[in-house]
Amino acid sequence: MFPPNNLPLPAETLLVTDELYAPADFILHRHLVSSLKGASSSKCVLVTVSGDVGRWKSVIQRSNVKVAQYMESGVLTFLDAMPHIVSAMDGGSDKPLMNLLEELKRLLNVSLAEVRSSVILDDIASLQWMGIPAPDLVRFTRALSALCRKNNISLVIRHHVTTPGEPDDVLKHLLQLCTYHLDVFPLSSGRSGAVSGQIALHCGPGTAKPVHRLIPRSAAIQYRLTDVGSVFFDRGTGSGVL
Amino acid sequence: MNVNDSLSICSRAAGRCGDHGVLSQAHQRAPHRLVRARESRSRASAPRAHSCPVPPPAPWPAARAMSAFKRRTTEKQLSLPAGTRTSPGSPATTITSTGIPSLDDILGGGLPLSCSLLVLAPDTHTAYGELVIKYAAAQGLASGQRVCVVGTRAEAFLSECMWVPGSTTQTHAASSAGTSTLAEDADDEQASEHDTKIKIAWRYEQMRQFQTTVPAFKQKCARSPDDYCRTFDLTSRMPEEVIKASRDEGRLVAVDLEEEGAVNSGRSSCIAVIRRLSEILARTDSEDPLLATRVCIPALGSYEWGDLSPHDICYFLLSLRALIRRHPRSCASVCLPPDLCQEAYGGPGWVQKLGWLTDAAITLAAFSSNPSLVAMFSSHHGLVHIHILPSPHTLLPPSDKYSTLRGLSSSGENNLAFKCMRKRLIFETLHLDVEGGISERRTTPSATAGPLDFGDGHAHHHGHEPSTAAPSSAIAAVQVQLEQAQITAVSQPTAITPPAEQPRSSFKKAKVKKKVVFTSERPDLYDF
Repeated sequence: MFPPNNLPLPAETLLVTDELYAPADFILHRHLVSSLKGASSSKCVLVTVSGDVGRWKSVIQRSNVKVAQYMESGVLTFLDAMPHIVSAMDGGSDKPLMNLLEELKRLLNVSLAEVRSSVILDDIASLQWMGIPAPDLVRFTRALSALCRKNNISLVIRHHVTTPGEPDDVLKHLLQLCTYHLDVFPLSSGRSGAVSGQIALHCGPGTAKPVHRLIPRSAAIQYRLTDVGSVFFDRGTGSGVL
Repeated sequence: MNVNDSLSICSRAAGRCGDHGVLSQAHQRAPHRLVRARESRSRASAPRAHSCPVPPPAPWPAARAMSAFKRRTTEKQLSLPAGTRTSPGSPATTITSTGIPSLDDILGGGLPLSCSLLVLAPDTHTAYGELVIKYAAAQGLASGQRVCVVGTRAEAFLSECMWVPGSTTQTHAASSAGTSTLAEDADDEQASEHDTKIKIAWRYEQMRQFQTTVPAFKQKCARSPDDYCRTFDLTSRMPEEVIKASRDEGRLVAVDLEEEGAVNSGRSSCIAVIRRLSEILARTDSEDPLLATRVCIPALGSYEWGDLSPHDICYFLLSLRALIRRHPRSCASVCLPPDLCQEAYGGPGWVQKLGWLTDAAITLAAFSSNPSLVAMFSSHHGLVHIHILPSPHTLLPPSDKYSTLRGLSSSGENNLAFKCMRKRLIFETLHLDVEGGISERRTTPSATAGPLDFGDGHAHHHGHEPSTAAPSSAIAAVQVQLEQAQITAVSQPTAITPPAEQPRSSFKKAKVKKKVVFTSERPDLYDF
């Protein structure tokens, strides 16, 4: 069954990379829904740079998740990263991501040990494009992954790839940092109505024995997006599923 | 229960829908059901004053049980801002027109509020991107929305905008306006084409050309269809009194970069503009909850903004999108000047970065700097590349299902192109020519074709039987790319014969063909 439900286990980091013509929103939605529905007590913090809270809410609601109820009880928290970063950048601070990290620490400190928590950082690439220097971003992700590992929280980081085949500095560091790397990329033959893209799963360099079955890019699983979610199938078996 | 009551109820129901054609059918179907509905209503608890027992007539007559529930769609329609409607793909989304019906179709009905549209026009000799922004500003003013123009010469920009022709468009229905513009398009086509004397059978001469674009939107609603998308005419300019009236009413706000004092550095101009826009949007939200705001930026990063680096552009687009999201009754249309659309400016993957930072991004790649493309696609002015489409509340963009032009629901994605005609700009599907080109089937010689040079093929003619499958592909290889024809010719020295002489046997009536670049008289082509 793909993708595995317990993909980022607590204290693990999952890196999700995607391209413009095969966005990985559905992977993040799926992860959020499964972590909200899975354990009886769980806590999710979603950090967005684009401020797409309305879209998250309306898409998740289609999977029968009572968003309002979870938000009131503090199980689900949306954190908009832009105000913290913009205020730091406009103020001329040399550590623009410090505020964001402090805010995250504050949100995660209240979680208890037996609560299964997860943090989703949507889109670290936009921060890089905005002008935040790559060393700052690398330090931020390192600090965030250390924080999550200490508190047994699973972390999902999303990065947009604009130059496939030529990873930039931030992506190189993220690849070193992650436990698993979920690679979403479009079909090499261009856009198609039947297949939306392909997914591959790699393990990070620090992972000695991968728990999940790895999928190389050459044998990538294809997926198709529907209104409510996604359907996965092996290459060539689409007619049985679609 | 008498006939008059049923008639009044039916007319009220149909009046809400505005489609009088359905009235007669509903009236024929409904009376006996009305009786049952009214009886059930009287049996229930005290009826509400405004409820109507008959729902709006269903568009298909199949067995749909008429229920006594009251539909709430009418109240929502009244509470939408002017010039907007709900998206067909997702009821939670409110969309507004860009002023160009075919672009609305590509976006899935229109640009959703709380979304930003980025138009890239990398051609340095034309200004199609700015034309799209002019349409957006004109549509905003015409439908009663607040328009916020960011730039140093906002008034000059608006005086160049297009406007509706005359004052008679108020009474026209959208369908008649659609057919009249189609007729005008046909006239424009005939006037602009050089070699149109294709002989066709007399009975087909009166038929319209194949329709490659969508007409103006026909809306079955009580609201006038002109409220959503006006029919603009490029030959008429926005009248001065409209600009003045909008400014006096406060519906036109200009964000002048010089006034903001923002020429020190690129980042400070971005910050200043965002701050001013957030003040304007906050004021709109507090003053008038039913007023939609359009932010139009005709040239983001032009010289008035100072020296903007790619980081500044990304910062601005991110902040603009965050700002638009915070004020859900606003939308933005941005155009980048040509030199800022290139990868030479932004680095590798620049266009993809721009696509990630906005909700809808299209590129209008005009042909004007590439004469071979102009010759190949003579009836269009440029290609349209879609990078991302808006989906503010759904996983998939509604355009995937509802766009006629993109054709995803039928077979695959259509190629899209645009052309700027005398009176309007339209986006339409682009169909590549049949292999061999149109000239292969013409009976009269095309003006650009010259006699084919067959002299070099004779030396190799004897002793070889050409295959029938090879000619068409060989001709296509030579004709498709004028610049690469020599390269394909060079790579063909291992091929058995030069392809030039084969069509003489395969095609009966093609006496005159386009000149083939490949010749064997120049020995430097094959060096073996």
